[in-house]
This record gives sequence, C-alpha cells and structure tokens, in this order.
Amino acid sequence: MTFSAILLLLCYFAALLLITKPLGAYMARVFAGERTPLQRVLGGLERTTYRVLGVDPNEDMKWTTYCVALLLFSLASLVFSYGALRLQGVLPLNPQHFGATQMPAHLAFNTAVSFTTNTNWQSYSPELTISYFSNMVALAIHNWASAAVGMAIAIALIRGFARKNAEGIGNFWADVVRCTLYVLLPLCLIGALVFMASGVPQSFAPYTTFTTLEGAQQTIAFGPVASQEIIKQLGTNGGGFFNANSAHPFENPNWLSNLFTLIVIWSIPASITHTFGKMVGNAKQGWAVFGAMAALALAGMLICISAEQAGTPHLDAAHIQTAATALQPGGNMEGKEVRFGIVSSALFADVTTGASCGAVNSMHDSYTPLGGLVPLFNMLTGEVIFGGVGAGLYGMLMFAVLAVFIAGLMVGRTPEYIGKKIERFEVQMAMLATLVLAASVLFFTALSSTYGAATGNLNNAGPHGFSEIFYAFASGTNNNGSAFAGITANTPWYNVTLGLAMLIGRFLVIVPLLAMAGALAKKNAVAVSSGTFPTDTPTFAGLLVAVVLIVGALSYFPGLSLGPIVEHYQMLALATH
Amino acid sequence: MSDLLYLTMAAGFFLLAIAYVYGCEKLRGGSQ
Repeated sequence: MTFSAILLLLCYFAALLLITKPLGAYMARVFAGERTPLQRVLGGLERTTYRVLGVDPNEDMKWTTYCVALLLFSLASLVFSYGALRLQGVLPLNPQHFGATQMPAHLAFNTAVSFTTNTNWQSYSPELTISYFSNMVALAIHNWASAAVGMAIAIALIRGFARKNAEGIGNFWADVVRCTLYVLLPLCLIGALVFMASGVPQSFAPYTTFTTLEGAQQTIAFGPVASQEIIKQLGTNGGGFFNANSAHPFENPNWLSNLFTLIVIWSIPASITHTFGKMVGNAKQGWAVFGAMAALALAGMLICISAEQAGTPHLDAAHIQTAATALQPGGNMEGKEVRFGIVSSALFADVTTGASCGAVNSMHDSYTPLGGLVPLFNMLTGEVIFGGVGAGLYGMLMFAVLAVFIAGLMVGRTPEYIGKKIERFEVQMAMLATLVLAASVLFFTALSSTYGAATGNLNNAGPHGFSEIFYAFASGTNNNGSAFAGITANTPWYNVTLGLAMLIGRFLVIVPLLAMAGALAKKNAVAVSSGTFPTDTPTFAGLLVAVVLIVGALSYFPGLSLGPIVEHYQMLALATH
Repeated sequence: MSDLLYLTMAAGFFLLAIAYVYGCEKLRGGSQ
C-alpha cells in the first residue's frame, strides 16, 4: 500500500462519515412525513402527483398491498420502457436516427428489465444504439424510479422493526414520491452542476465530426450526460451514457470527478444506516450496521488495491517495473486509465461492486485474479457492502436476522432484534431471500458454462472464461450491472438468461423481505432483559461480518475456486492458458 | 411476434411474483 492509497482511503471514509449523520437524519424526517424546508417548495408538486395517481398518501398499506403495488408499478414501467426502446425510430430527439434495427426484441427485453431492476447491465454500446429520447425517458426514468423503489422497501422493512402491533408498513406511493422529490431531486440538481463544472457535457446537439491531425474523420459522441451521470451514481444504477462508462472522459473527466463519483455512490447507502438507527429509536443500531459494512468494505479495498499494486509475475518476467514511483503508478495498469492510476481504479471497482452500482472506470477483466476476485465477491455477498440505494440496508438486515438466529441457537434463547422476537417465519423468509440469490447465480452460471452457444461467446478459455460467465450472472442476479467483460453478451441467450436472473434477484428477494416486514410490524416489542443479546455493539457488527462471509463462502467457494482462485495459482506458476 | 413473446415472459414473471406474495402470506398465517 502506498502512502497516497492510505491517504485516499482515509479521506474517502471521512467524507462518508461526514455525510452519513446529516443525510440519514434528514431522510428519517422525509420518510416519517415530517415537515422539511423543501416541502414548502415541492409540497404542491407532491400533492399534485398523488391527485394524478389517484392515491391517498395517508393510507397505511398491509405488506401484501404494498408489495403488489410495487410489482404492478415495476411491470408497467418495464413495459413502457420496452415500448419506448423498440419504437425509438419514430420517437423524437433521435438525431442519429437509431431504430429497431439497433434494438432487437431480446435486447429491448434485457435493457428494460435491467433498468427496471436497478441493474443497468448494458449488452450494447449506448452511443451506437440508443436515441436521446430513449436514454432520457425510457431509461433515465428507471434511474429515479428503481432507486426510489429500493429506498421504499428498506424504509418499509425498518417500519416493520419500529412499529408495534401494526397492520401496515407504510404507503408505497408516498414513499416513492417523497424519496424522488425530497431526496433524489435536490441531490441530483447539486450533483449535476458539480459534474458540469468538472467538464461533463450537457447538450442536445447532434454528435460532432472532427478532422484528426492525420486527416481522418472522427465522430465525437456526447449529449445530456451530466444529468444522467448524477442519477446513475446517486441511485446506484451504473448505466453509462457511453460504452466506456466512467472510464470515458465525458463521464468522468479527472481525479476530482472520480472522487466525487465515489462519494456520491455510497452517500445514500451509508446514510440510510443512520436513518435506520433514527427510525428504530437507537442510533447505535444504525452505527453497528454501518460498522459491519465498513469493515467488509475496507477488507476488500485492502486486498484489491494491494493485489493490483503488486502486479503479476508476468510483468516481472518481462522486466517491467511494478514498483510505484513518483513518475509512474507501477503495478498492473492493464485496463486502467492513466489519469486514475492503480488506487483510484481499484477503489472504484470496490465501491461500485459493493454498492449495486455497476459503473466502471477500469476494465475488471484485466485485474489480477485476486484483484478481480474482490469485486466478484462483493457482488456475491448480495450487495450488502453499503449496497444499492435501499437494497444494501434491506440485504444487511436480512443477514442481521440470520445473525441473531445463529446467536440464539448458540445460547439456546429465542432470538430478538430491535426488540422484536425473531421466530420461524422471519428466519424462513430470510433464508428464502438468501437462497434464491445463490440458486440464480449458480444455476445460470452452470448452464452457460456447458451450453455451446454461451461458451462460444467468450474471449477467454479456462478459469478466466469461467470467471467471465460467473461474474456476469453474479452481476445480473445481484442487480449490480458491471461487466467483467470478455463476453459478447448481446445475444438472445445472454440477453434472456441475464434478464431472468435480474428479475429473480430483484423481485424474488423483495417479496420475502416485505413479508418479514409485515410479520414484524404485527408483533409487540419484547422488553430488554439481562439475557438479551445486544445488537448495537461492535461484537454484533463482528458477528454480522462473519455471517455475511460464511454464507458467501458456503454458497460460492466452489465457483470461486474454479475461477479466480485457480487462475491465481496458474499465474504464480507463470502458466499460460 | 417476438415482442409478444418477451412481453408475455415479463408479465408471466410478475404474475408468479404476485402469487409468491400470497403464498408467503399463507405461510405466515400457517406459522402463527
């Protein structure tokens, strides 16, 4: 680890800590329906939205009503996006004249599912496929809506813990509208201006053609990038305006925009832990969850940065200097932007895969085996290392239920969490949510590893090729959206299977967790006694970390062994494949 | 034709998810 790496990590976590408390407390007020200064400005728009939708924001929904509203809203927005993508040829704001030829049905299915599920997996090159209208309406709408839906689910689950003897877990429509208007909109307005100030374009003009110094014609693609860039990162969406994503100088021009991006990605996922603490009436509960997430994050960062900084035996054998000096970054620079170097690239890979963001500023396929294992494992934890907007917290609370259950088994006492007894049903729901993720990743990876049409699309054979498939389905199922690359994914097979994996990973996890929220809300609180296992301490945070690692290891160690682990030993033996 | 296939697939998934909602609710009732 270089001094600059340690300094960057310290600055990054300090910035997150500074944001977490004020933003978390503000979000707690927003979702409790308390008056905030922004309500004076946007209150009218909020009330108009309810009138247009024909909903009563004060209706307290049972978990089944809440969940069905969420599913129908997601289906309707998915169908809308599918239609807008397929019909982009006859829709406005299409100066490049893209049509259905660039967007066949299987790609439109994959893309509509991808953005509905907050995954933003992109099997296509956006600047060669999607019109401005489709980008801003069919896709960007999901950057807002899917983030707000993720937040709503987390808030509903928190209410399950916070409420006593209650039938309802809140109002889905009110949660989504409040999140959009009072959390995402103001932060996006400020953030888009920061991106524009750092050099990110915001324009509706057609692409520009230049003559290069060699006399060749080159087309420069751009468009309304800044407005999409901010919600892409803030909503942990990750779908880029350009195929190169955050490695493109128009999305991420310099070190300052890169650091700002990193802070933006984890700002809401970190802050919502404090929202959790505030809403359940004990801020230390939130900090325990934050601590567990931060410990997992830091461990991954240290491994990934160290592995990338160390380089490979192949580089040493070729007498390429791998030590960092004042003039060059050293290490494994393949697939990394020189303006970001080793540390900012590896940190970005950790942050984007810890959150279910999926934006990339370097090529993960070019990482060393151990360096690439970390982003893969981050996703396989179920995106709980701060995780997606809302999704990180509800995933970690699922693990918290399992942690208190295991602790209860060890001491022979009915487990409790936040004053609620954790009984058979809650554990069943937590297990269903955990198992469906592993089942989807492993099933589709196994299928694609043996199906000729799927393996034929790989650029690498052997363990690296396996890692490419494993990474794709880990990314799809866990709604991350980043690509290891190396697969030609724009085929009917991958578009359909990844589309199904994204749907399973999103909605078949949400259903049991909302069922758990409904069951918890109905329960009365149990009094804290000398036998209660405290869940607001570093000991509990440690247990939580252990449960996440054990579940991840038990589910995925064989897969990881076939991919990055065996590749690491091959690398050490200087083997080629 | 392919549009209908993919839209039916999506709608079918969400119908199954709604059935899953009521399945979980039934399980909760049974476990009480």
